[in-house]
Order: sequence, then structure tokens, then C-alpha cells
Amino acid sequence: MNTEAAIRRSRLRDVFLAQAAVSNSETAHAISEMRWYPVREPVSENRYAVLRVKTRSGLTGWGECAQAPEQDAKALEKEWLGKPATLYAAIDRSAPLAAALDMALLDILGKACGAPVYRVLGGPTRHKVRAFTRSNVAAFSAVEIQAPKPAARNQGKAYENQVQALLKQLPADRDFVLSAHGSLTPGDAASVAQSVETYHPLWFDEPCAASNVEAVRKISGETVTPLGFGRGIADPGAFLALLRDGLVDVVRPDIAQWGITGARSIAIMAEAYYVAIAPNHDGGPIATAAALHLAASVPNFFIQHVPLPDAPEDRAMRAALLSAASTRLETPQDGFLQLPLGPGLGIEVNESALEKYHAA
Amino acid sequence: MRRRSFLTISGAGLAFAHNNPRRAAFPDCGCAMAPPQPQARGSLAGFDRLQSGLKVTGMKVFGVSLTRNSDRPYVFCKLETNQGLVGWGEGTLEGKAGATMACIEDFRDFIIGADPMQVEHIWQSMYVHSFYRAGPVMGSAISAIDQALWDIRGKAMGVPVYKLFGGPLDPRGVRGYYHADGVRTPEALAKLRETAIGLGVSCFKTGIPAYYEWIETRNKISAAVKSMQVLRESLGPDIDIAVDFHAKTSPSVASILVKEVEPLNLLFIEEPCPPENVQAMAKIARRSTTPIATGERLVALYGCRELIEMGVVDILQPDINHVGGITGLSKVSQMAAVSGISMAPHACEGPIGGLATLHVNSAMPNFVVQEICGQIQPGPTDKIWEEWLGFPAMRMVDGRFPLAQKPGLGFELSEASLAKYPFGGTRPMARVFHEDGSVAEW
Repeated sequence: MNTEAAIRRSRLRDVFLAQAAVSNSETAHAISEMRWYPVREPVSENRYAVLRVKTRSGLTGWGECAQAPEQDAKALEKEWLGKPATLYAAIDRSAPLAAALDMALLDILGKACGAPVYRVLGGPTRHKVRAFTRSNVAAFSAVEIQAPKPAARNQGKAYENQVQALLKQLPADRDFVLSAHGSLTPGDAASVAQSVETYHPLWFDEPCAASNVEAVRKISGETVTPLGFGRGIADPGAFLALLRDGLVDVVRPDIAQWGITGARSIAIMAEAYYVAIAPNHDGGPIATAAALHLAASVPNFFIQHVPLPDAPEDRAMRAALLSAASTRLETPQDGFLQLPLGPGLGIEVNESALEKYHAA
Repeated sequence: MRRRSFLTISGAGLAFAHNNPRRAAFPDCGCAMAPPQPQARGSLAGFDRLQSGLKVTGMKVFGVSLTRNSDRPYVFCKLETNQGLVGWGEGTLEGKAGATMACIEDFRDFIIGADPMQVEHIWQSMYVHSFYRAGPVMGSAISAIDQALWDIRGKAMGVPVYKLFGGPLDPRGVRGYYHADGVRTPEALAKLRETAIGLGVSCFKTGIPAYYEWIETRNKISAAVKSMQVLRESLGPDIDIAVDFHAKTSPSVASILVKEVEPLNLLFIEEPCPPENVQAMAKIARRSTTPIATGERLVALYGCRELIEMGVVDILQPDINHVGGITGLSKVSQMAAVSGISMAPHACEGPIGGLATLHVNSAMPNFVVQEICGQIQPGPTDKIWEEWLGFPAMRMVDGRFPLAQKPGLGFELSEASLAKYPFGGTRPMARVFHEDGSVAEW
């Protein structure tokens, strides 16, 4: 190395190492503790799990995902203890619990920045969040209608009539999502999709399994009823394939599988195809909060599913998990949920309720 | 609820626009599609309770010519807020400085009065409500404003911008490359190798000599191949080499070259043909194992979609000063990441865009390397940047660009320091012609 270069190099080092020293001393937000709470709704027996992350600086972040084996939680703890809690870009998206960790780290980052998560991410892009649920509750914008189980396969007209009978019970101006959970044959799915066109469903959700791309192509080619897919899709490439071929109208990444960041990546991909997201959500109220922040940080969001249970005991549990200040989180007004205002996810989790509803 | 009510039309776009006395009522163009009169507050009143309290109060646009005849006067944008925080952004567009500056001005109504924290919302409004979508001029204008908004956002939240993206993935900084233009002889390249190893620099990029016609002669093909062979022979196996064709080759000529140099294990070949026709680039890419990079001329996610979905490119190179700023670059990188494509962002303009891009890079899991148009020995431009910013901006330490530690984009810049380099007007980029006088790509 020539002398000039040596001098310059040492000068650069002086400038930047001094700065780096400052940043390395900033380990305040290092993760000091992770705790995992599997819970279960008493009547529906719906299970999910809550992750609590604490930092040396005294911040607490909350996340939620589907239940996973205790050893996965231990592995996550081993990997992340001592690391900066602000480093959400470093999360391995394929790891179990990645979604919960993503929410918890964004919760902490928001609290460290004194801003709601949607503001950290560049939002809000909207000031309220359209919502639907399975029960026909007037406060929600729309209702999810389960397509009945066909009496036999490939029933054609008979099955169409069965579905239409169900839709005729709805008030004419009640918006709905027709949901088949991937259970129909391509033929039944395509003919039903066509026969409900004039009812204007918001979309037909999972008429067949998304993994069967050629069946999806057949259905999409025979109807203008919008199609929604996303439940169970764990690979972004599967979303890209559906989007590229114009086979999907509503993209539905599961908030408890993708977290805020992963679902946002899928939303970004969908944005390039002028397609909106309507994230799947079958878990608890912490994931609902995460979904609200996601909705307010992307431009192409349409509606959020809220898995409101029917039994009062289950609803009581959801209410108990959050502190009193957050209880209206899942209660829409005029069809829309309100965005949380506080820093991070803007919720306070009631730890005694996590113990009470613990279900390993 | 009726579906129709899902659409609340607000012609004004953003709540504050109606306060602007310069904004006339919506002109009646007789077009049936014209939206109704903007509602004074409309559906935007709902944002009131979600505001951060920060408001953009001022916008200044600067043209900065380092030399009188520079074809790329820097286009900088400074946003001021009601709380004293300011943000800087860059939208330098070579050969089109005046148009870009005017386009930033055209967005004034979108910005003044806005909550700078709502960068995604503002970005969408600028892009969508411009109706015609964005080409490079509008893309660069949006980029400048977007970067300045992110600078303010980081400062308001007290963190460097990369923290808002969940970075840094590598606290040592962001790997980069210098240009090795004009270094052609084995001796000069050997010396470059020695300096690079001493400094920890692990990657270079250079071009290919001459200009190329639609179909090329044996001599020109051989010379081009040889120019790349000598790079590998002289720089050795452990330095990454990228070669920029700069779209001066046709798909037919590029296909031959890209295939011939397969044994050289280049990091990538950049812009083997012009960017408008993805099929043409696909034809080049699918007949070679040499990684293909492109993207510096593309605007927004939309501009990169086809390249990604067709699996044409291995590496995308959007430029933060054209693609739509930090928001645009981040979105392209995220779509690329979930599609298995890597990122090597372009930067060949001023220091603000360069520094801004480092923030986004540092949180990209699919990041490869960052460009800077400087040489391994600092030049006069590097000196001016240091004079402006107080540190050697976009110079590497051990092969990496160090990351800012201060909030926002991590620098301070005074208007006074720019005044030494007044705007010298828009100047065209180079105009190159073939032997027969016809127009050549360069």
C-alpha cells in the first residue's frame, strides 16, 4: 500500500470508528428476555400464541403467531437474546414464530421512536380500517359466507342453487365474501363463481386450493367474480405466480404467518399488479393490532378479517388479553376499525390473562 | 353498506390543498370523467387525530453545477418544517436538470402543509394524482421529495433512517465498488489490484471500449472480449469484476459478448441492451450463465415488474434519485427479495442520493454491492463533497461505505456551502455518432 493511501485510510478510520464506537455502545435495546405464552379460547378452542420480548432499556414488545412447539420458541430465544431488538430486517422469515418476533420487534422499534408502527413504516396511508367477520354483525362492513359443503362432487346446477339460496337470505345491500376454503372441485368452483356474479360478492375466497394453479386458471378464465387466495401460502413465489398470470384479485397473506414485514412485502409485490391485500387472520387480538398497522402502512389494502368468536366466553378472553384502553380494538364503527394511537403496536397486553388462558 | 360508498372521491388529493390560494377551482374540462369539486376536507379529516404534529412549511429547490458545463448539475430539494427540522433530498437527472427542478416545484401543493411522517401517503398522491404516471423526470422529482421526507422522519424519530427499515444487517457498513474507467493495461490493472488489496476494496466496475453498431465486426467483438479478459487476468480471481455495457450494444451483439466471457466469472454484466424491451434483454440472459444486471433507468416498482416476473435479471440496479427515492428503492428491493433477485443499486450523481441509498441497502437481505461513480483515488468531486458535509461521503473503509450514526440521513448541509457552485443551466449529456454519422448509444 502506498503512503498516501495509508494516510487516507487511517484518517477515514478515525472519522468512522469514532462514530461506530458510539453506535456499539448503544446496546440499550438489546433483547434481554423472551417469553412465550400459548393460549386457547375456551369454547372455540382456537389456539394461538403470544410472544413477549423485553430489552435492557426496559421496553416490551408483543407479538402473536400460531402455536408452535416449545423447542422452536427456545431456538428463537437462543438466536435472538442479546441482539438489538430494532433489527427486524434480520428475522429469518421462514423460521417458526417469525411473525410474532416481527410484530414484537416493530412494537419495540415504535416505542423506541415514540411512534405507532404504521408511522415508523411511512403511514398512515388511511385513517380507518375496513373490516369483516364471519358472523353477520352489522358494525362490520361485510360478512364472510361459508359456501356449503356440496352434497356430492360436480353437482353443477344443484350446487349453484344451494349457494344462491344462502345468498338470497342476505339483505340486498349487505356485502359478503364467499369462502370455500379450497374445498370445491374446479368444475363446481367455476360454475358457482359464474352463477354468483350478479350478487357481486366482494370476492370468492379460495374456491380451490391455490397450489393447483391450473384449476385456478380455469376458474379465473370463466368468471369475472374476483378471486382471493393466500391462506396457507408460505412461499412468496406462489403469490408471484398467481399475480403474474392475473389469477388473483385479492391477495391474502396470513398476518400470523408473515408478520407485518412479510405481509408488507407481499403487498408490495401485489401493488405492482394493481391488486390489494386483505390479510387472513385466525388468531387473537394482538395480531389484529398488527394487522391494523399493516393496513395503515400500505396503499393497497382493502379489508381486514377479524376472527370474532361467537361464544361470549371467547370474546371475554379476547377482551381480557388487552388492557381496558385497548378493548375497542376489534369493535368497528360504521364498518371500520380505528387505528391505535400509542407508540409501537399501541396496545397493552394483560399478562395475568395470558396466564389464565394458558394452554400448552 | 353499499359498495359504491367504498369510494370517497376527493379531487384535492390532500387536505391542505384547498388552503392554497393559488389553486384554482377544478377547471371544467367538459370531460365526463372529471372528479367532482374537491371537498374542503372530505375524507381526509380523519387523519387529524393521527397527525404527528410536524408540518412541511417550506420547500426549496437547488440546481448545483460543480463545473460551468456540467451535464449533471445536482438537483437538491430542501424541506422545512414547523418544528425547525429540515430534510434534504436529491433528484439529479443528467441532462434534464431544469425539467426536474420544475417538476419538483409542480409538487409544491402536495407538500406544503403535509405531515412529513406520512411519506407513503404523500408518495402515492404524487404518483397517482399526477395521472400520467411517472417517467424519469417525475420519478426524479418524487425521489428528491421522498428522500427529504425520510430525512425529516428519521430526525423526528431520533434514529438513522436504516433503523426504521430494521437495519443495519452489517454494522460495518455497505459493501461498495469503485469505477476503474480508463485502467486498461495489465500494468495499470496490477497496480490497481495492489491498491485495492491494501484498502480492502473487493470489487470494481468498468465499461467496454468503443461504440457498437447493430451487428459488429470480428475485430470489434474480439477487442471487447479481450478488454474483459485482461481485467480478470490482471485483477486476479479474488476481486469481483462488473462490466457495464451501458446499453451501447444491441441484443445481437450483447448475446455474443455475454456468452464469450462466461469463463471470466464476472460479478455481472450491466445493461447489455437498452431498457425498454424486456423480451430483448430476456433473449440475452437466457443464453448465458453470466449474471445480468439492469435497472438504473427504471421508475417505481411498476418499471421493474416485468424484469422480475420474467426472471430476466439476476441483479436489479435502481437509482434512488430516479426510482422514487427511499420509498421506491425499498419497495423494489422487497419485491426483488421475495422473488430471489439481488440488489446492486446505481448511484452516479450527488452525495445525498448516495448516502440515502446506503440506509436502504443496509436493511436488504438481498443486497450485493453499492455503486459509486468515484475512482479508488479520491478526485475533485470527493473534495467538494467533504467540504459540504464535513466527512468523506461515499468513500469506503475496508471495502464498505460506513453508515451514518446521526438521525435521519445523517448529515448536515448548509445552503451557503452550495452557493459556491451556482446552477449553470441544463446541459445535454454526451451525443455520440457512428462512423457513418448515425446516432450511437453510449
